[in-house]
Amino acid sequence: MATISLQHIQKIYPNAAVKERRKKKGDDPEKKKNNLKITDEGVVAVDDFNLEIADKEFIVFVGPSGCGKSTTLRMVAGLEDITRGDLYIDGVRMNDIEPKDRDIAMVFQNYALYPHMTVRQNLEFPLTLRKVPKEQMNKQVNEAAEILGITEYLDRKPKALSGGQRQRVAIGRAIVREPKVLLMDEPLSNLDAKLRNQMRAEIIKLRQRIDSTFIYVTHDQTEAMTLGDRIVIMKDGEIQQIGTPQEVFDNPVNTFVAGFIGMPQMNFYDGKLVKNGDKYVIEVLGAKIVPTEDKQKHLKERNTPEMDIIVGARPEHISLKNVDGAMMEGSVDVSEMMGSSVHIHLNAGGHDSIIIVPTLELGGQDLSYGSKVRFTFAPNVVHMFDKATGENLEYK
Amino acid sequence: MNNTAEKNKLSPRRRIVNFLVHLLLAVLAIIWVLPIFWIVLTSFRAEPGAYTNTFLPQGYTLNNYIKLFTDRNVLNFPKMFLNTLIIAIFCCIFSTFFVLSVAYSLSRMRFGFRKTYMNIAMILGLFPGFMAMVAQYFILKAMGLTEGSMIRIGLIIVYSACTGLGFQIAKGFFDTIPRSIDEAAIIDGATKWQVFTRITMPLAKPIVIYTVMTSFIAPWVDFVFAKVICRANADQFTVAIGLWNMLQKEYIYRWYTCFAAGAVVISIPIAILFIYMQRFYVEGMSGAVKG
Repeated sequence: MATISLQHIQKIYPNAAVKERRKKKGDDPEKKKNNLKITDEGVVAVDDFNLEIADKEFIVFVGPSGCGKSTTLRMVAGLEDITRGDLYIDGVRMNDIEPKDRDIAMVFQNYALYPHMTVRQNLEFPLTLRKVPKEQMNKQVNEAAEILGITEYLDRKPKALSGGQRQRVAIGRAIVREPKVLLMDEPLSNLDAKLRNQMRAEIIKLRQRIDSTFIYVTHDQTEAMTLGDRIVIMKDGEIQQIGTPQEVFDNPVNTFVAGFIGMPQMNFYDGKLVKNGDKYVIEVLGAKIVPTEDKQKHLKERNTPEMDIIVGARPEHISLKNVDGAMMEGSVDVSEMMGSSVHIHLNAGGHDSIIIVPTLELGGQDLSYGSKVRFTFAPNVVHMFDKATGENLEYK
Repeated sequence: MNNTAEKNKLSPRRRIVNFLVHLLLAVLAIIWVLPIFWIVLTSFRAEPGAYTNTFLPQGYTLNNYIKLFTDRNVLNFPKMFLNTLIIAIFCCIFSTFFVLSVAYSLSRMRFGFRKTYMNIAMILGLFPGFMAMVAQYFILKAMGLTEGSMIRIGLIIVYSACTGLGFQIAKGFFDTIPRSIDEAAIIDGATKWQVFTRITMPLAKPIVIYTVMTSFIAPWVDFVFAKVICRANADQFTVAIGLWNMLQKEYIYRWYTCFAAGAVVISIPIAILFIYMQRFYVEGMSGAVKG
């Protein structure tokens, strides 16, 4: 039972050295370093973060490294001070409350188990600190161990466990006292690919068994898409988009989100948006594509002028079917046979692009290096981004 | 069977190298052990005096040890031993506390003067401690700690007060304990003190033991400060001064073998402490985090 509300959260790391250097040179105060904004106070790691998290929701923060997702999580945990803004858990302002009084638990990327304690002692530790009676403690520990399938390792020390088992213990230690909020900081990043898939499935199961609100940090968009009820995509300390996996996949608000979500990533081409009568037409690589009605409507509502745009199309939305006047051409660099489909890496108008074609649709297409491939995008899933700002023209 | 036997057979070249390496190690070991062996032998020697013509004693006796502890008229060894033991125990407690707190705070906390302090500490550490000997004496004198039984307190202060400067090794060790373990404990509900006592200390056992050992040994082996601060107060002598006195012209003939016995005796508390402490060594950090 926990709702979390983050209001205008900001994190600034004071950096005296930067300040002094700038004073000497008299640089522009808004100059960016490592893409992070630097103000007079220091480096802005997280800027104006607003998010309402519902009870028992599974929220995923995703973004490239250094985007501030872990910092935000650590602010929720209380491991970092909040420079500005308010954090509420269940309506209580938490900014100045000690981590132990926030009723949260956290799973770390590197497990952070206590190496001198057995697995059982590791699980008991949070309970002993809360002075839970021995009997109840045993019950809770056994329950948690059972959920995670670590009962048989209870008397081992962490060093006698494999990576996957250790991470289970770490998760066990987090859930054993049934916290209101469960924070996970890249919990699967240290595991190999196979274990990661397995643990991802287990986290989904775990989620159904315990009544906590989850905040999960990852840089892996697959984890974000499969786990999250809602995804928060961050870049350079700022939220780019908040939405369900479907929303962010279908309607990315800018080129960053479009490129970050989806595997392989979306293809981008330079193009032009022109008006033909009362219809908008996308001109790209010599082809003319007429967006579908609802897209036309969105553009009209916003009174979009003619402009240079970036056209985005997901590899799986590109087809080789012939549509008059809407065909583009590229030359094959590499083609990868994946079984049911073929990933074709093309060079189209100077842009590297990937298209995924079901094997059945391939026909007799020649895919050797340098051969020409003609393709088009479906007009209902094509994305148009302002070339100057990168914003999606339909949702800005 | 034959195959493995053949595999285990070393090439002649390899055998010669092995032989030479072991020979060198054996010689080094003998050179290292010989003085200790000799001092133990001498402590049981029956004939008195510093100079003998034989390596092995002509006769063996326990009288040296008996004399060491019973002949209190000239040099009161039991009293010196007790003095040193008391000083060592207090010094051990205080310095361990100082070293660990300085090292822990420098490793785990971030505060304004931290970097500067570490630099200053390193530069100060470059100077030998006895450069400050005279100054320390006058400070202790001003505090009234240079007369009578106050000398003991003076020595405890001298031996433990500056140990905080020797934080480097312990800090290096604390630095290897991942911060996320601390953070995990904080989130699990531990206070800073609980993190220190229940997580950091158990993990830092080897370095705690190292610190305890070194700070316990210091008073036993220090001569300079003890000499300066005790001066002629024979009541307050530590073993180092006592043993030195045994080698003075007027005592050396009668006390030389007792000196050897004394040298053996002072290694006993240190050995006991070491044997007691070594079982607390843990195998290290593996298993805490991915590694």
